[in-house]
Amino acid sequence: MEQIVLNVIFWFGIYAIVSISLNLEYGLAGIPNFGRVLAVLFGAFTVGGIVNRFFIAYYGIQGELIESSAELKTIMNQRIAEDPSFGILLLLLYLAISAVVCGIIGAIAILPSARLSRDYLAITLLAISEVSFMVFNYNTSLGGGYYGISLPDVFAFYAGNRQLLFAILSLLLLLLVFILAERISNSPFGRLLRAMREDEDVVKAYGRNLMFLRIKISAISSAIAGIAGALFSLFTANFIASNFTRIEWTFYPFLMVLLGGAGNNKGVLFGTFVFVTVRQFLTVYKYELVETLRIPFQTVWIEYIAFGLVMFLVLVYRPEGLIREAPVLKVAKKLRARSSESSK
Amino acid sequence: MLIEGAIVYSNLLALLSLGLTLTYITTSVPNFAHGSIAVLGSYLALSLYYFLGFHPYLSLPIVFLVCGLLGVVCYLAILRPLIQRGASIVILMIATLALDLILFGFIGAISDSIGGIAKKFIFTTYDFEVQGISGVFFFSSAVVLLTLIFLWFLLFKTKFGIALRASMENPALAETMGINVEKTRIFSWFLSCALAGIAGALLPFKQEIVPLTGSLIIVSIFSASILGGIASIVGALVGGYLIGISESLLTYALSFVLGTEVLLYSKVVSLSALIIALLIAPRGIVEGLRKWSKSFST
Repeated sequence: MEQIVLNVIFWFGIYAIVSISLNLEYGLAGIPNFGRVLAVLFGAFTVGGIVNRFFIAYYGIQGELIESSAELKTIMNQRIAEDPSFGILLLLLYLAISAVVCGIIGAIAILPSARLSRDYLAITLLAISEVSFMVFNYNTSLGGGYYGISLPDVFAFYAGNRQLLFAILSLLLLLLVFILAERISNSPFGRLLRAMREDEDVVKAYGRNLMFLRIKISAISSAIAGIAGALFSLFTANFIASNFTRIEWTFYPFLMVLLGGAGNNKGVLFGTFVFVTVRQFLTVYKYELVETLRIPFQTVWIEYIAFGLVMFLVLVYRPEGLIREAPVLKVAKKLRARSSESSK
Repeated sequence: MLIEGAIVYSNLLALLSLGLTLTYITTSVPNFAHGSIAVLGSYLALSLYYFLGFHPYLSLPIVFLVCGLLGVVCYLAILRPLIQRGASIVILMIATLALDLILFGFIGAISDSIGGIAKKFIFTTYDFEVQGISGVFFFSSAVVLLTLIFLWFLLFKTKFGIALRASMENPALAETMGINVEKTRIFSWFLSCALAGIAGALLPFKQEIVPLTGSLIIVSIFSASILGGIASIVGALVGGYLIGISESLLTYALSFVLGTEVLLYSKVVSLSALIIALLIAPRGIVEGLRKWSKSFST
């Protein structure tokens, strides 16, 4: 039971980071990023495929990336076990560089279609993420391909249940991301994004550059999603591209955002919690389900069909989500203050 | 042999992008489930062969009908309720993404139920040859030709075709003129998905099929449609052939320079073509060329 709770907490933290990043991009700015997985994938890749390459060069380890990563892992784990502060520093370094790399990737990915309409945006972002997924999956020298590469355990100094530490870490990061997202939503920039979502022409008429706005929010939200990717790969202590499917990291975040309420960060947290809990129960009772229903195939296919139908039901019956988008905080407060003043 | 393969692949891609364009112009939503409908066609052909012993070529009419009806069901059950509620294009796109997931779930379930061979299958061993040219070359070309003749006849020689063209141009105006836009949408979803099913049933003669094939082939389909101009039927054909041929031949040519490993990355070629098209002529090359030639006359 304790394991289930820890699982729910960890997955809630990591998925909430991704869905809040998607909420900034889709819920706030109206950009249908059907390639959310791209930033998550690159965030995870940055840990094993970029930062660790520098460490491998630093320690002078020879050989292919897959073998040298394994060797690096033993060296690093030993050092982390001796010196916990090294592990913490390493963790922060991984997260920071992943955020920077993914911010750049997000800005580049949106460039070709940034000035076009939303259907073009969705198609292009999806195509870029699918092709990247394929390249990472096949190319073994880039990031280990389907064999994957192993990563050091940043909590190697802790002898107990490392999942506990990761659950706490994911919640901490989520808190930071949530505060950042709330600040963005309530800032003038956030209001500008909302205006862009509602009517692009109005924003243009006020002399704002749509393309620049899109690139900026895409970079910010991709950086956030990259942190989640890095966290996930550090948790599993390896990087395998096939973990980063469109369903897992694009479709499910969309489901969580729409279920909770697009444009509303608190709603998205709620939607994520509902999704993660339901999914955890599905995972736990998977085998019993197969036995009672006597189905001749894996439950994952039923999961896909079910979540696809849930998405459809949300779209038809609850398009604004479980919790509706609230009016902008600052403006609402000001209005309230003004009305109370005038009533005096 | 190489050119033959490239033409077969281009034929299939042209069928797929034609279908995508058809639903795009009548319903104005890019169908993200188009690749999965094609792969469902592949698995349908495989099931018909596996359970009933039908040769894949013989099962083409069945696949055509079943996938076409499936398309109509998808439109009526998933998209129409949303359109009636005034959903935005983004919501419709998300709905087709959900449809893609549902279809993928069914494909996986079928694949698991058949077992072993269905995880990864190919039809080339069941194909015949005429003077060294594979049967799928004739079949895919014949399907493309028949489709074109049928479409030309329908669009330009019948009253329904005029109604169809009118509702493509301006659905609101067409509706006020008494044209049943609903009918044209149902028709386009039937034809689009039926053609996707046919392309899917012929695809295993050309390449290996796995349940995840749909999510890769969708990249080629979108590239072809956008390269030709997503709202143009001629453009869909032009784009299909351009992408199909460059994906096969360009990757083959690159394999001499960069080694045979490149052959795995044919989709990178489609993606590059898509990005270049978006940067230079986002409305597609057919429209782009028309504008370019007009700039001379004035």
